[in-house]
Amino acid sequence: MADTLLELDGVSIRRGIDIVLSDFSLSLVEGQCIILHGENGLGKSTVIEAAARLLPMEKGEVRHHKSMVHDSEGRRKSPKFPFGLTLQSNGLVPSQTIQQHLETVCSISQMECDLTPILESYGLAHRRHDKIAHLSGGQQRKVSVISGLIPGMLSKKPRLILLDEPDSGLDDASIEILKTHLNQLRSAGHGILIATHNERLFDCATSLHDLNEESKREPESCEPWEKIGKKAESSFLSTKMGWKYNASTLISIQRNWLASLLVVGTLLALVEPLSISDQEVLIMGFVLAPAFTMGLVGDSVTSMLQEQRAIDWWRAQVQSIPNSNIESFLSGCILTTFSIQVFLQTFDWRIVLIGGLVGFATTFCLRFLQLSTLRLARTNAVFIRLLTPILILPWAMVVEFCITL
Amino acid sequence: MRVRHGEVLLATGFLGIMTTLFLALKWAPSVSIDAFASPAAQRIFYWHVPSAWAAFIAFSVLFVGSALWVFKRSPTGWRLHVAGSEASLACGLMAVWSGCVWGAAEWGTPWDWSDVRLNTFGLLTLLALFLVLGRQSQPDGIESRDTFSTFGLYGFVLVPITYIATRIWQIRHPGPVIGGGEDSSLSSDMGLVLLLGAISFTILIAGHMVMSARITEYEQRLERLQNKVDGRI
Repeated sequence: MADTLLELDGVSIRRGIDIVLSDFSLSLVEGQCIILHGENGLGKSTVIEAAARLLPMEKGEVRHHKSMVHDSEGRRKSPKFPFGLTLQSNGLVPSQTIQQHLETVCSISQMECDLTPILESYGLAHRRHDKIAHLSGGQQRKVSVISGLIPGMLSKKPRLILLDEPDSGLDDASIEILKTHLNQLRSAGHGILIATHNERLFDCATSLHDLNEESKREPESCEPWEKIGKKAESSFLSTKMGWKYNASTLISIQRNWLASLLVVGTLLALVEPLSISDQEVLIMGFVLAPAFTMGLVGDSVTSMLQEQRAIDWWRAQVQSIPNSNIESFLSGCILTTFSIQVFLQTFDWRIVLIGGLVGFATTFCLRFLQLSTLRLARTNAVFIRLLTPILILPWAMVVEFCITL
Repeated sequence: MRVRHGEVLLATGFLGIMTTLFLALKWAPSVSIDAFASPAAQRIFYWHVPSAWAAFIAFSVLFVGSALWVFKRSPTGWRLHVAGSEASLACGLMAVWSGCVWGAAEWGTPWDWSDVRLNTFGLLTLLALFLVLGRQSQPDGIESRDTFSTFGLYGFVLVPITYIATRIWQIRHPGPVIGGGEDSSLSSDMGLVLLLGAISFTILIAGHMVMSARITEYEQRLERLQNKVDGRI
């Protein structure tokens, strides 16, 4: 009997002021391809995002491979097996190349493969080392669709694949390739859930669902997909990816370091360090100000991931999203070393270490504030940084502690 | 003609506050120069303490409304959240501003980053500002209500800390003048003006909250009607 890959059990979800799904249930087994269709605003994308653990639920539970991954109490557990996801907003990191992004997707599946044949089939092989930001909208969409299909392409074991409007932005030739891949993956035993208006994709479906009732159909028969992946274990993926994002874009240097160095420069423009050498609190405050400022700018990786909803794509796949934890600690240490040289003309490893911890802790708090407003429609318009003064008192206490060292 | 309770309460509260100000400036007894560095500035007390008292009431309403929304999805709870956040902002700003003016005169500095009460109360006011501005920047919906109500719920933990701060850590801000032990006492005239101020501010924010809740209800009705025209319901 075919295994159940996805269950939405009595799910109710509100979005905006409306109840979009009310007591909705759906079950997807191996070898099935269910297409959600219907007019705009019906809740097709809501079903896909609920299945991907992205939306809080009023009632119900979502299960992958019969294990609960998300419920209405707010509990979220990592799926036992990787799954494919293509969001309407792509979910790509623009500063990565196609090759880098697809390798990341493979890493989440703990596998690796030769991506050339897949890229060639979508006409992207010659652009594999180009940044996603430099691609056209249609090409970016192709990368997003490939990302959704890859977990199924890599593995022999049945995988869940969730695709939200995969045909949107694709040319006719690419839609035909997509149909072929969907049929092959379905024949190989993977379970596919698609939200689409495009009736051309209906040919791939084993059933059509308009969110009220499901009607079965016979899809085109096809040779099953031959898996192309080999095992490649990778651990601490979120931490590694955070480091890679930082290293490839130098975004922390641009944002966090620049602010810190400007603070040091401003202080030096106003004050001669030797003239205040007897004012311990002031001097120590100057020494720790750059690390604190660096943290107050926030986690640059988190900000970067908010483009194209890459942060939601990561939230669906892993429990802990890529972050700047390591980078913020190291930056805090380096900036404190610099400021201690400038203001104290000395070196004290304890203060450098404390500076690193100040940088890490401040960045961590800012990231917490950034992530707490993720559900809002306009995250950049909300004044979350009004709450950052809460960090001034603890920082002042750390400064006073450092004087005693 | 329908009695507009909110407007009546607002007008009454405003009148009471003006009376308090007049009495504070013209009638309340002066304080000793031995007790205060700036005795004239001490009269800000009759504005500062009642506005802080009213702010605590507003923060409590914000907490209750936030809790009702988070746990019960109550529309009344959301109206209380909105009303409470606006009243908290107004009274919080009044308390902070008057405190800074008084502090500049009395302590020689408007603010002290090491004083727990000052900083926790300042943070509460910033929280209220965040809630008011943030809500105006977002479309109304379950996402924004959940997010802001969560902040309103957990931010309330600062209220008891602010209240007991001067009992535990006497750093800069003076201790309580009522119920603060042997050292805290007011003359009857001072107490009378203070009581009038506290009652007036309470009536004022009650009036504000009644009006705010009514406005929020009208906004929600308008939204429902607009959705009906859009064909969504």
